[in-house]
This record gives sequence, structure tokens and C-alpha cells, in this order.
Amino acid sequence: MQKKLALYICKGCSIGESVKFEKIETVSKNKMKVPVVKSHDALCGTEGLEMIKADIQSEGVNTLVIAACSGRVKYEEFDFPGCIVERVPVRELAVWTQEKSDAQLAAEDYIQMGIIKAQKGDMPEPYLMETVKDILIIGGGVAGMQAALQSAKSGYQVVLVEKEAVLGGFVGKLHKKIPTVLPFREPLIVDVDLEPTIKSVESNPNIKVFKSAKVEKIEGQPGAFDVTITSNGTEETVKIGAIILAAGWKPYDAKKLGHLGYGKLKDVVTQIELEEIAKKGSIARPSDGKPAKKVAFIQCAGQRDANHLPYCSAMCCAASLKQAKYVRQDPDAIAMILYKDMRTPGRTEYYYKEAQNDPGVMLTKAEVSGVTEGPDGNLYVEMKDSLLGSSVKLEADLVVLATGMVPATADDPVLNLQYRQGPGLPDLELFNGFADSNFICFQYETRRTGVFAAGAVRQPMNMTEAQDDATGAALKAIQSAEHVAVGMSVHPRAWDLTFPDPMMTRCTSCKRCTEECPFGAIDEDEKGTPFFKPGRCRRCATCMGACPERIVSFKDYHVDMIGSMMKSFSVPDDEDEPRIIVVCCENDAYPAIDTAALQKMKLDPAARFVTLRCLGSMNLVWLADSFSRGVDGMLLMGCKFGENYQCHFAKGSELANYRLGKVQETLDRLQLEADRVKLVEVAIDEYGKIAQMINEFVEKIKEIGPNPFKGM
Amino acid sequence: MQTSDKPSRILVIGGGFSGLTTAVDAAESGAEVIIVEKNPYLGGRVAQLNKYFPKMCPPVCGLEINFRRIKTNPNVTFYTMAEVTAIAGGPGNYDVTVQLNPRFVNDKCVACDACAEACPATRSNDFNFGMDKTKAAYLPFNQAFPQQYVIDAKACKKDCGTVCKEACKYDAIDLDMKAETLILNVDSVVVATGWNPYNADRIETLGSGNVPNVISNMQMERIASVNGPTGGAINRPSDGKPVQKVAFVQCAGSRDENHLAFCSFICCMASLKQTLYIREQTPDAEVSIFYIDMRTPGRYEKFLNQIQADSKVTFIKGKVAKIEKKKNGDVAVTAEDMVTGDKVEKVFDMVVLATGMEPAGATKALPGVNYVEGFAAPDAGIFPAGCSRNPMDVSKSAQDATSAALKAILAGKGR
Amino acid sequence: MSDQILKPDLEFTKEIIAAGGESLKKCYQCSTCTVVCDVTPDRQPFPRKEMLYAQWGLKDKLLASPDVWLCHQCSDCTAYCPRGAKPGEVLGAVRKMTIQEYSKPSCLGKMVNDSKFAIMLFAIPTIIFLFELFIQGHLTNGIPRIPNGQLMSYSLMFPPTLYIDTVFVPLALFATFMFYKGVKGYWAAMSANYPTPLKKGVIAPLFETIREILTHSIFEKCGVAKDRSTAHKILFYSFIGLSITTAMAASYIYVFNYSGPYPQTNIIKWIGNISGVAMLIGITMIIMNRMKNQEKAGVGSYFDWFFIVVVFGVGLTGMLAQILRLANIAVLGYPMYFAHLVFVFVLFAYAPYSKMAHMVYRTTALVFAKYSKRS
Repeated sequence: MQKKLALYICKGCSIGESVKFEKIETVSKNKMKVPVVKSHDALCGTEGLEMIKADIQSEGVNTLVIAACSGRVKYEEFDFPGCIVERVPVRELAVWTQEKSDAQLAAEDYIQMGIIKAQKGDMPEPYLMETVKDILIIGGGVAGMQAALQSAKSGYQVVLVEKEAVLGGFVGKLHKKIPTVLPFREPLIVDVDLEPTIKSVESNPNIKVFKSAKVEKIEGQPGAFDVTITSNGTEETVKIGAIILAAGWKPYDAKKLGHLGYGKLKDVVTQIELEEIAKKGSIARPSDGKPAKKVAFIQCAGQRDANHLPYCSAMCCAASLKQAKYVRQDPDAIAMILYKDMRTPGRTEYYYKEAQNDPGVMLTKAEVSGVTEGPDGNLYVEMKDSLLGSSVKLEADLVVLATGMVPATADDPVLNLQYRQGPGLPDLELFNGFADSNFICFQYETRRTGVFAAGAVRQPMNMTEAQDDATGAALKAIQSAEHVAVGMSVHPRAWDLTFPDPMMTRCTSCKRCTEECPFGAIDEDEKGTPFFKPGRCRRCATCMGACPERIVSFKDYHVDMIGSMMKSFSVPDDEDEPRIIVVCCENDAYPAIDTAALQKMKLDPAARFVTLRCLGSMNLVWLADSFSRGVDGMLLMGCKFGENYQCHFAKGSELANYRLGKVQETLDRLQLEADRVKLVEVAIDEYGKIAQMINEFVEKIKEIGPNPFKGM
Repeated sequence: MQTSDKPSRILVIGGGFSGLTTAVDAAESGAEVIIVEKNPYLGGRVAQLNKYFPKMCPPVCGLEINFRRIKTNPNVTFYTMAEVTAIAGGPGNYDVTVQLNPRFVNDKCVACDACAEACPATRSNDFNFGMDKTKAAYLPFNQAFPQQYVIDAKACKKDCGTVCKEACKYDAIDLDMKAETLILNVDSVVVATGWNPYNADRIETLGSGNVPNVISNMQMERIASVNGPTGGAINRPSDGKPVQKVAFVQCAGSRDENHLAFCSFICCMASLKQTLYIREQTPDAEVSIFYIDMRTPGRYEKFLNQIQADSKVTFIKGKVAKIEKKKNGDVAVTAEDMVTGDKVEKVFDMVVLATGMEPAGATKALPGVNYVEGFAAPDAGIFPAGCSRNPMDVSKSAQDATSAALKAILAGKGR
Repeated sequence: MSDQILKPDLEFTKEIIAAGGESLKKCYQCSTCTVVCDVTPDRQPFPRKEMLYAQWGLKDKLLASPDVWLCHQCSDCTAYCPRGAKPGEVLGAVRKMTIQEYSKPSCLGKMVNDSKFAIMLFAIPTIIFLFELFIQGHLTNGIPRIPNGQLMSYSLMFPPTLYIDTVFVPLALFATFMFYKGVKGYWAAMSANYPTPLKKGVIAPLFETIREILTHSIFEKCGVAKDRSTAHKILFYSFIGLSITTAMAASYIYVFNYSGPYPQTNIIKWIGNISGVAMLIGITMIIMNRMKNQEKAGVGSYFDWFFIVVVFGVGLTGMLAQILRLANIAVLGYPMYFAHLVFVFVLFAYAPYSKMAHMVYRTTALVFAKYSKRS
């Protein structure tokens, strides 16, 4: 695109009272070579906008620098299709947060920075490749089948891979299920009735089902995955656009629950085993086949337990109430449910109430300490802290253990991705092996683009929840396939049409990018040379930050651009006037600064802000360049990291911090103090702390003294 | 959707967390989405929260991303201060009547605050549950989106309007604005009207409304928020004293047939989260949590364990059914500690009632939408999402809203 | 009490349900009930734990404990119960079962509590008194009158010494003996169930209990059903008044050899009439309270209503018999007196098995509770 720049300066919102424009206009025109420079009293008003539109039409202006307010506001007004628009938040950064005496210099700096950004940037062009939109679903349980049906209904071709010989997963193994429709009334157990669903999956012309099958490997990228499936000895490779992981769960290994008698006492069984017993007709003891009259259900068996599963499987309380109803098919039999907390959240509470309203269903809170066998062959359940007594025993002729759910991904990558970073989803230890999202607001997000988890492999859930979950996952898979087909990113930069375009001739194969990419988007060829897979990329530009050779660029975001912007800031000669550059993440830190500005909170005039897509894209060369021209300090504002990281790109601020650990060498070379660089974690609501963070840093810099490179 | 299809047109009622998620997910899949929101801002209930459990991260963080996706996506339009008054037609052809209430501030507003500075009248701040006041010309809260002021016509009487108008340099105040009616033709409707905190004053035994320093958990969110009435300092309302001893009363209205018969799902985690607010702000503060069953399903167990490990936090299994006023603003709470089996009375500086969620449909049903006990039920082309459908937390709402987006798209497919 | 083996008993739970505790399985152990109860002691309060024991059919824990009697069925618990489990009703059912458990022979207990036997229970005194009329020849010859103006006289219908006392004195002895046996059994069971041996004297607790009963100090703590305390107090004092009346009548006959009918100015008439009216007022208030509070507190069981009807019957027939005698309407007066005797018989003969027994069992439980330092 042949660019024609124009700078528009707004005098509204008291900008005009603090900033003199003559100098800025002259510098922009002459030094910065901006052909069109205009100002207006209220640029966002009708008249101001008309002025800009007229220039676009008559002057051929197509690259606009709007020196007014933050890009987070007036976004509709300043949207000019076909043009590059660079918003310079003069109002927020130079006026609202600055004393009047400091506004002028700040405005000059920021406007110059904006012009450079506009000059160095280019119109995004999407990365287009040959893609398919077919959806692979791993797992043929209720979640997988629902995802398959919904995807097919939406007009997509589906490949469903099930490891067993029949579809249905765990639900298929159940004797009865809890009614799915409110209100819960007798009968409180109903037929599972999975056949119609299985039939509609198997007979759907848009769904290809592989049974007794396994995903051997997945190569490629979203829109163009090559998935190799083995089934009954044959191997087939299919092209896939997006993947839904619905591999489900397995029960926790009850053999590890020796203290509860499992494995030693024949009449101690798991919930799943009770389903099998119930399927045979009546509840009979495994040891002697006699009908079980006194059945004890031990909730949280090996759950909520640091030695076993630390989490709660969320469905066992309701499942035991259901199974109590199996027991109560015999009117003389009793079901005794021993719980830590009865967990029937939401309207499942109604099921609790109805199922409990039966004289033979007895419940108490208890900490079960063991199950032993008495001389008569009967079992004794020992309880502590029960509501029936602090140390009591119950006699039972059958004991059922509510063992929890272990996700399929706990010890098996399942996906078998042929990615440089490994075959499975990363970070699953944060979620006890579940393929869950770290984000409260953005479910389904995994750190492998185009792969979405659904059902009990994602979180412990019941079958109704799993079906709803699968519907959502189907949408996410469709969305991903559609976005990649037009070269657009997915969450969180779902609008972004740029992509990383490395200049490979300068690559030294140092592998930093391949290691650091949070999404595993970069593989390596046989020689160890990075191999970008744009379909997997989320456009955080972590690779750009990682690369010591500065070869990774996006059309509107690259090392030179940001570096030049930083270089454009004034560095006062006066030793009492330090200059610090505050590099902030645009998702959280910058909005916090905007909010501080709205509150008219004053920030130290030493600070100049540069926003990054993510702190992960912070390249160390900027530090060296800035310090060598006399900048006194650099403060990095990134998201919280650690276990509860808030970075939308998972690792951005953490990587920036990690890189700072290595910056010492650069600083040593320049004979500068390590304290001149600092990273702070800022959440979006911590706008009240920004001023203090900057002040503290400036104080520290003043303590250290001016950068010796100043004025050189 | 397959790009060859004609895009589905979806109306999302409610611009809270669920509605935004449905809208963004549907729009990013090619649908054309309109959001109508009754408040002057988007974000709904979560905008009032200080942090999310269990990550203790600020809700505006996720909202910011979703707002950015709305800003950059031409497929999403939204109306604030808008209410649905009628839904006619069926799947593929709904005519939805929407009333746009006057904001008295137009798009020219630059949020410079001049009108509020000049405004002579004040109003009770509903965003902070009436715990403080704003001017009658106000921004709902400092991170509100859209960043556009509102004039409360009820509070801004006599010459107040004129004073505000004269203070505005950008001609953004239009006192003649009238309610308008729009008729939107869409293929399907998503009901994401969310929930309201149950009115704890109706619970006779818990002192709300007559014992000072008994507050609701939503009030606690505002008190702990940096943009709340105390700037985030957890002080009790009666005398502003920083709290040292706080009780959380679980199931305040929930799991109770005299009030809300269901479990509200979020309150256990919410109280644990609020316990952290207190414990992080005041290192020697003591917290007692009175509960029937601690319901922290799935991974939330870890969050429970984290709080349980804090020696300053006591868990008492036993529902509180008596709250009384003591001298100096203190509050006495009575419960049976079921594990010891004794009735205990303890005195606190402040008591937080973990009030449950009442679905919006229980107090205001939308015409043309089916409800069961106030919860919206799915219909041919009408799909409930989030807490209007079932009690759930934010992450479940996200999942539910994404699921609703596909259902809504499919309802409009091929028409 | 370490590692005590619990014996859940489905049949016992079903019995409580059948006895009027049909809502007991709705309880989910939140303990709202114990907190709103103003009557329970703070240590090991009721009725939350009783609800759990009832759900598990733990007979010993319920029937060998004084706690169910500490409950005065104010019904605050029932009103505030979040699950509609009606603890007040359940404890009422358990109290009834306590009476049945300890009052022997238990077949009588079952009959008193079963509407099928109602006619039979009333038939017994009817036959006895008809037989008395028959042997006196009243059935064939009619009842003689006091010649002085041919006035009616119930003493001529049933001469007190021979025809009244020969029935009621053995009856009273029977009831007293059965109560004694019941109380003894109950006390023994409670002592056996108590974890540590008890030594303290019983006299002080007994006096304290009597003081409580006379003042209704516990009952007056009731919230939801406040009026019940007043009604019960009126009824309670009417019974005391009527006991005094009975004792005076006995002394008139046996000590002063002075037989009725007594003039209305006599002190015995004053006490008797005031008590009789009080009884009617009290029982009517109880009925009305039950109707009014049925939404919140429940309407009560057959067991309750049997007793209410009998008391009401005693009071009503007694007052009407007197009025009819004074009005000298023999054709109504004599049948009314007959009915009165039948009701009084039913009241006393079945006292150890009916709700009347609560006065004895509750007193026992209250004494035991104090004796064991329970409250």
C-alpha cells in the first residue's frame, strides 16, 4: 500500500489548554515529513470527522495519526475502512495524567511516536493456505456424540474416533440415569436410552465413525491437520480443520483404597461396579450372591484427599442418591450414604430432596476411617466425626465406594500431536490432569490452537452438563475452522489478520522461539530450523520478543517499529529530569492507565508509555537501544503470572520476567545497574497503584543517578 | 457457520457476562448479533464484582477482551438502556419490540466529567447498592463501557438539567431525549437476563434490614472493590470501622423453601473469595464461615483447601438462624456447631449473608418467554443462557453461553 | 462410647412416619430448628439430632432420652424449617411412641392410637354404665327423683359410693399403677442410656420441675405458637381445679357424710364451675390455635385429636349435665350425665396410653433432665 500520512490533532477535552500545537505541526510537517497536518477543536464531532473524511477522499490520505484520546474510546468515530489508523492518547497520557507544565513535551513525544508507528506499519494481509473445515472428535461418549451431531447439523463433516467397539462411553455402561427434566418426581431413576443417539450418529451421512480406534498422530495446524487414525488394524490419514477432545474419564483406581477394604473384601465395590450389579436385576452381594439389605455408600472415596484425588468429582453425590434408589427397589433394604458434604449444586438440590424422601435412604455427614470385616462376614464401616456420634460403626452387607473421575488426559496425551513442544496439552498439572481452560471468562481455551476440550475430560461434570459443554465446544471448533480459513486469528485476538513473517535467512536456529511460543506454533525441521505454523498462532508475538536476531515481524508490529518508537522519546539533558520508558501490556496494564487518566490521577512526568500486544513480545534489544541513548530506566507492566496467571497469552509477562533475568549481561556490557529495569505485575483494576509504582521506580532511578549515556 | 449460508440473526437479551459471550462467539462464527441491555453499561452483574474465584482476578480483565472483540467486530451491535417489551413470531422470524430509554447524553460525550462537576443534584448509587451517592449526571462506574455519561432524570430536577447541559462543551446533553421503540427482526433470541441478589430483608431470622452491619455478599463485593464506596477498604457500614471479626452466613435464602428452594451454586466459593479479601487486607482479622454443606465442586476444592489452611478462618457446620444487634454496632450470630453438637453464639464486627441468586425471570418475566420458577426455559427459537437458565458461576456461564450461541445459530440456519 | 455399633431400623423410621412424622425424611441437617428453638438447652440441643436419629431409626437414642419431652412443640422449628421437615410434628410423633413404648400393656397403647378402636374404647364404659343402670332397674323403671318438687339427681341415677367409686377408684389405681410402671421403665432406660453413672438426689429436680410446670416457664418461651402456652395454662389449671373439686367431693361424702347435689353457693361449686368453664375455654383455644397454625405448625395427629376430643367431651358434657339438672330437663340431663361419665372414664382409663400421659412422661423427662444436669 502506498501510504499517505495525515496527522490530526484534537484540541478538545482540555488538550488545547495545555498543549501548543504550532511547534508540533511544524516538526511533524518538516522533520517527520507528514504531508497533511491539521487540528480541530473537537475531532470526534461531526465537523472534525467530516474534515478527515474529506481528506481521505480528496487528498488520498490513507494513513491517519489521530492525536486525541485513547483508542479504547471513540472507536466507531475514528474507524475509517481501508485506512491505517493510529490513535495517540494525548488526552490520557499528556494531559489528564500530567501537570500543565509537563504536557507539552509529553504531547510532542507521543505524537512523534504515533507518526513513527504509522510510518513503520503496514496494512495487514491475511495468511491464506489451503484449509479444510472438517471436525475431528476424539471420544464417542455423550459429549463426543453431541459434538458430532451439532457439528454435522451445522453443515460440517465430522470424523468421530472412539477407542471402544461401541459408542456411548460411560453413560452406555449405566443401569439407569437421573431424569434430565425438572421437576424430579418418581420414578427417580429412568432408562439411559442412548440407542437413538448412537443410531443418529452412526446413520448421519456427515459423520464418519471409527470404532476400536485410536488417534496415532496429529500433524499440521488448524485448518490443515493431518490426523492418522488406526482402527482394527487399518490406518487412515484424514485432513481436519479443528479438533474436539471429548475423551472422557475413567474411575480412580480403587485398588489404591485398601483402607476402605477394596480388593480385600469382596463386598466392597465401586459405583461403576454397582451399575454392573444393578444391570443384572437385583442388588446382590458379590461374595455370596445374597441380596444386599444394608448398603453403605462412602462418598469421596479417594477424593478431596491429598493422597488420592485432591479434587471433587462433582457428580458422585447425585450418583449415590440414584444408586440408593437401586437399593430401594427392595422395600426392605436400606441405603446409607456417608458424606463429607452433600454436593448437589444448583437445582440438583431438588433431586437430593426427592431421593432422600424415602424411609430407606439414610444420610449422615461422616469421615469414614475404614471398612473392616466382622466375624459373621458382615462389613463394618468405621466413622469419625459423624452426626451420629464421634466414633461409631455401621454394619453393612455391601459397601459402595464413590470413587472419582480421572480425566483421560491425566496420564495419556491422547492427541499425540507431532509438535515440537510435545504430544499433549501443556500445563495440565494446573488442572489435575483435566484438559481445562485457565481462563474463567474463556472456557474451552487450550494452549493448542484449534483443539477444544469438552465434557468430563475438561472438568468433572454430569452427562447433561457434558452435552451442553459439547455444544459449546462444537461452536468453538467451527469458529476456529472458519477463522483460519480466512487467515484470521482466534481468541483472544480474534480480529487480527496479521501473522508472524520471519526473515528466515537471518535465523540462527537458536530455538528460543520454538521453546517459548505459548501455543506450540513453531516446529523445527530436521536441521533444527524453526518452521512457523501460522494456523496455530495466536498473534501474541512472543516469538518476536524471544528472537535475538529480531527477524520476526508482523505487518503492523515489529521490532524495528517499537524500537524506533522508543527512540523517538525525548531524553532531557537535565540530570534531575530522568526519562523512563514504561512498557505495558495493552490488555490489562494499558486499560488500567486509561482508567487512572479518567480519574485525572497524575503520573510522574519522567514516564513515557509504550504498549505491546503482550509483554511476551518484549525484545531485549529495546533495552539496550534505550539505555544506550540515555534513557534512565525501563519499567515493564505485565499481567500477573504464576499458577493463577492472568496473561491472555498464558506466558507473556512470565517470559518477559524470565528474559529480564538474562538482561544482566547486556547491562553489564553497558556498565549499568540491574535496578534500572524492573517488571511489575499490574491487573486491570489496579489503576490506583500505577502512580505509586511509577513513583517508586523513579525514586529508585534517582537514587541510582542518571544514565551515564545521557547526552552522548 | 459455513460461509455460503446466509448469516443467522440473533438477538441477545442482556449484556452481562453470558450475553456478551454468546454475542461474541456467535458473531465470530459469522452470525449477526444485536445485544439489548437494560443498564446504561455492558457487563451486568460481573461488573460489580471485585474479583473472580478462584483466581482472584478482576472481572474487567475478561470484559475488556470481550469489549474489544465487540469493538472490532462489525457483526455485533448493542443498545444500552434498552428493554424488550414484546416478542412476536417464531424461529426464523421473530419481531422483537425494544424500548430504548433516554440517556439524555448522546454519542458526543467524551467523558470529560464537566457535567458531573457542575451537576447540583445527587442520586443513590445503585451500582454500589445504595451505599453511596453519585451526581445526577454520572458515569455508572469508572471502567464502564461504553464510556458515556448518563443523566438520572428522576434525580435531576428543576434547573439541574440546564446546569449540566451548560457545562458540556460538546453538545452531548440532550434533555429532550424521549423513549424510542425499535422493532428488530431476528431468527432467534438468546435470553441472558441474569440474576438479582435475593432480598435478604425477607429472611426474618437473619437481621438484614434491621441489624446494622449485616450486609449481603454483593454489597461485600462493592465494599472490597477499589471503585466501591470505601475505595476498597473493608470497613463496616455503621461506623466505618475496619473489620477484625467477620462471619459469613451461607445459604442465606438458598436451599430454603420459604425463600429460594435451590442451591445458588456460587455462594460457597464467593464467601471463600471474600474471606481472602479480608484476610489479605487485614492480617490479623478472623473469619468464621457457617455452612450446611461446603459446595466447592471440581477444582474449587483446592480453593477450599487454601482457605481451610488459614488458621484465622473457622468453619462451622451449622446454619445460622438467629442474628441480633449487640452494643457498639457489633452483631451476634447463633448456630449449632453440628460436629460438637452445641449451640454457639458468637459476636462479630460485621456479618456477610451469602444471599443467593434469584433469576431475573422471577421478578420480571419477558413476554413470550417460558419460565419455570423464574428460570427461563428453552423454546423453539428462544434459548436461555447463563444464570437466567440455572444457578451457575462465571465459568459455567461462559460455557453455557457458547453452547447457547450454537443453538441460536442453528435455529436460524437455512431460513 | 467409642466404636459403638449403630443399628439403623427401617421399621422404626416407618413407625415414626406412620405416627405423624411423615415429613421427617425431608430434613437435610441444617440445624435451623435447634437455633430458632428457644426451649432447647444450648448443650446438645434438639430437635436437629432427633431428626437424624428418626431418619436412621435409632430407637434407643430417641426413646431412652429425655430430650423429646423438653420440646413443648412451640413449632418455631417447623415454621422456619427450610425443607418442610416439620421437626415439631416429628418430635410429637416420637413422644407418642415413647408413651406407647413404656405404658403397658402395649396393646392398649395401640388401640388408643388407632381410630379403628375408637368405638370400642367408648363402648367399654358405655356397657359398664348401662349394666349399672340395668342392675339398679333404672332401665326398666326409670330414674327416681328427689320427691321435693320431683327434682333430678344424678346421685339417684348412680349413687356415688357404690356405683361411681367402685368403677373409678379401681380405674384410678389401675392408671396410677400403669403410670408407675411406665415411668419406672422410662427412667431405667434413660439411666442406662446415660454415659456416666448418676448420683444426685431427685427431690430438688422434682421441685424445680413442678415449679416450671406451674409457671409454664418453658412453654412461655415459644415463638410461633405463643397462644398455645396460654391455652395450655388455662387447661392445666382447670385440671388442677377439677382435681381439687373431686377431692373435696370425696371428703364431703366420706368425711362429712354430706352428699350432693350441692347448692350453687357452696365453695365446691365455685371451684368446680370455674374449673369446668376454664377447661372448655382452654380446650377451645387449643383447637382454634391448631386450626390457625396448621400452615406453620401442622394440624397434629389422631393421637392429639383423640385427647382433645375427650377433654372437650368431658368439659362439655359436664357443664351441660349440670345446666340440664338445674333446668330440671331429665330427658336430656340423664343421658348427658351418662355421656359425661363415659368421657371421664375414657379420659382416666386410657390416660397412660393417650396424650394425657404426657403430663407424667414429660414430668419424668424434665426431672431426669435436671437430675442428669441436662438442662
